[in-house]
Amino acid sequence: MDVSQYLEIFLDETKEHLQSLNTEILNLEQDSENADTINEIFRAAHSLKGMAGTMGYKRMQNLTHDMENVFSEVRNGTIKVKGNLIDILFQCLDALEEYMNTIQETGDEGTNDNEPLIKLLNEILDSKGEEEKPEAPPVEKEASQSSGGESLGGEGKWQGIKFDDTQKHVLKEAIKQGKHVFGLTVKVQETCILKAARAFLVFKALEELGEVIISNPPVQDIEDEKFDLDFSLIFISDSPLDKVVKAAKSVSEIEGVDGDTIGSEKLDTLAEVPQPPKAPVEAEPSPKPVVEPQIVETVSQPAPQPVSQPAPQPAPIKVAEKKAPVSKPVVNRTVRVDIEKLDVLMNLVSELIIAKNSLVSASGAERSASGFNEHIEYLESVTTNLHESVMKVRMVPIESVVNKFPRMIRDLSKKLDKKMELYMSGEETELDRTVVDEIGDPLMHLLRNAADHGLESGEIRKERGKPEVGSVFLDAYQDGNNVVIEVRDDGAGIDTDAVKEKAISKGLITPEQGEGMSEQEVVNLLFHAGFSTAKTVSDVSGRGVGLDVVKSKIESLSGEVEVKSKKGVGSTWTIRLPLTLAIIQALMVDVGGEKYAISLGSIQTIEDIMPSDIKSVQNKEVIHLRGIVIPIIRLNEVLDIESKKKQEDNLTVVIVKKGDRMAGLVVDDLMGQQEIVIKSLGKYITKCKIISGATILGDGEVALILDTNALF
Amino acid sequence: MEELKVDLENGTTQFIVVTLGEEEYGIDIKYVDNIVRMQNITRVPKVQKYLKGVINLRGEVIPVMSIRIKMGLEADEYSKSTRIIILKLEQHGNIGVIVDEVQEVVTLESSQIEKIAYDSKEERDNFIFAIGKYENGGLISLLDLNAVLVEKESV
Repeated sequence: MDVSQYLEIFLDETKEHLQSLNTEILNLEQDSENADTINEIFRAAHSLKGMAGTMGYKRMQNLTHDMENVFSEVRNGTIKVKGNLIDILFQCLDALEEYMNTIQETGDEGTNDNEPLIKLLNEILDSKGEEEKPEAPPVEKEASQSSGGESLGGEGKWQGIKFDDTQKHVLKEAIKQGKHVFGLTVKVQETCILKAARAFLVFKALEELGEVIISNPPVQDIEDEKFDLDFSLIFISDSPLDKVVKAAKSVSEIEGVDGDTIGSEKLDTLAEVPQPPKAPVEAEPSPKPVVEPQIVETVSQPAPQPVSQPAPQPAPIKVAEKKAPVSKPVVNRTVRVDIEKLDVLMNLVSELIIAKNSLVSASGAERSASGFNEHIEYLESVTTNLHESVMKVRMVPIESVVNKFPRMIRDLSKKLDKKMELYMSGEETELDRTVVDEIGDPLMHLLRNAADHGLESGEIRKERGKPEVGSVFLDAYQDGNNVVIEVRDDGAGIDTDAVKEKAISKGLITPEQGEGMSEQEVVNLLFHAGFSTAKTVSDVSGRGVGLDVVKSKIESLSGEVEVKSKKGVGSTWTIRLPLTLAIIQALMVDVGGEKYAISLGSIQTIEDIMPSDIKSVQNKEVIHLRGIVIPIIRLNEVLDIESKKKQEDNLTVVIVKKGDRMAGLVVDDLMGQQEIVIKSLGKYITKCKIISGATILGDGEVALILDTNALF
Repeated sequence: MEELKVDLENGTTQFIVVTLGEEEYGIDIKYVDNIVRMQNITRVPKVQKYLKGVINLRGEVIPVMSIRIKMGLEADEYSKSTRIIILKLEQHGNIGVIVDEVQEVVTLESSQIEKIAYDSKEERDNFIFAIGKYENGGLISLLDLNAVLVEKESV
């Protein structure tokens, strides 16, 4: 048996606990007296410790243990929360996160003991009033968890174990050789989540001392967690009983261990009388340490498992504000669904849609009874609903990503020595899981930019008549089929002259080009690779990589990013992402006999243009449409195919937009609108930039999806 | 890269024997996912010439390449016996390759597989890692799928 199967759960829960610790400690900094906050922190720290211990990560356990001690004293009111303490706690969280990352990568916690941190924690503990006992050593505490031996429900259950002749023989042999034979009944706590893991650790601890001969239920069942709260063992060892019992008890979340020595004559009676009616022998040799009642109390509390996520906030909240004091942590009812299973479900829906499409095309082929059409309509509504509900399963609130930002801004504030606050709204906005996982880094970058480049220092702000404390806003909301995330600051705005200068010095544009550029065009230069306007390269941002990476990341998610800035007032970065990436509404077009799909989202209008309406500007074909000049792209040229239309024929032009820009795509024919399932072209075809994917049509044919953004 | 090499030390290997032009070639069966009849291939613009396009294989879109063009042979002529062999490779995902004909499956002992040196000037020889010898004296060229599939700009 192996704990690695629990690794994933462990990592997931550790992440949740760390996040909740981060959030709550931030709250604690604002309101150091809030008992709910402190309790929440204590619970999370305790769960973390327990989990790390179970998984055998000793260093992590030690660190959380010392943190827990500090929290315990904070809760008792013997230590006051000060800025210094908060800083140390945050450092501890960082260290824990590092452990977690190392574990995630290597399966091992690494070798960093983080002794300086532990020392700091202990100094805090020592510095408080003398009357309190500073530390309950871990052994004592674990003993306290398990000291309830006398109240065991299953005491003496091992006496019920039956053995066959061979086993009896083995045991007798062992006794002859002067070894001890023990019967043990181990009971785990009712609240224990990973019973099998605990049992495994008990086995592991015992096997260091001797050999487990029989277990009831059998080992396989214990591994599969097919036991109630206790299991019994017959155990051979050289060590005395108390040592054995102690070893078993050293595993956390073990409520108690009941055991006795079995002599050879008892062996016979046991074997013959399976359930001896005599009173169970009470063997409780372990010392009962006096423990602080506090600790016992928390120990007996059911360990909150995936509880720690804060409840989704319905209305926009100001994170920097104090939270309502009595906000009870509400359990976020979540189901962990394997993403692969979701993908399978998604594929099923895809096929259903394909089936529907083929029905549609069949009905078009031969005009049959109206009942047929009804069926199709029904099928259509079913597939649409199914699609929607499956999409919803895949959606997660962006909360999980943005939750770490208040902490980041706090750290940045200290590092940059600028006062700033982060205001967030719309954390409950949902996005496809795959998008949410990817969006964290770009957002973090934009926030850092806002904090570092955007906001001025306190003195300058005062001079400019702004409040000394700078504000950074992160707003998310749904807008039609898109989700919009805005990062806004009330800082200096983008210095377009500096940007222009920089671009010229870097050779991105010529001075002449710079003259003719609009402010917006200059601002867009920021997205060029290798651009950074901060005069000094700071730790926070300005290494010259960044905005171009942000842009390409967002675009890889089929989204777009825009920036608007007003000098002296601030800048706004707007990220626009599609709600889903899997199924879209598309317009099917014919180019030279081939079928292509264009996402409906990017289409502005469709126009019928006479060849004489096409003008030439700077050797490029354009049309003049209702006051706007739009460049024309002949798709057949882009796609290397012969158009079937004659030169004098009217042109069908699909006007598509990308941000503020527009272009007209000349196609041979329109084939109608369709819901299409996006499929990847596979890893092997990478060269084709203008095709973003493929889809399967009703007749089983493959049609390619045009990436209109790549045509500009 | 190494995983594409056939483990020559260990017992027998099964090959699917296919025809390309006049010659017979062997493809290690462990990379073969499926063999399908020739079907309509949707052209993908702006890609290498040897990439013929994509097909729909039970709801999945799979790229298809022409080994003949990749090897510098004349372009495929599709006939009734033309097949697409779907290869399953970790590095590239699923890829279909067009062959003129699929003959049979042969099992070769490692002693029947003779590695060849890599100094040939002829391009098509670079796609072969060994020669397989039948019991009846026939020979097949064993394709080095890694070389066949590696991306090439110039073709």
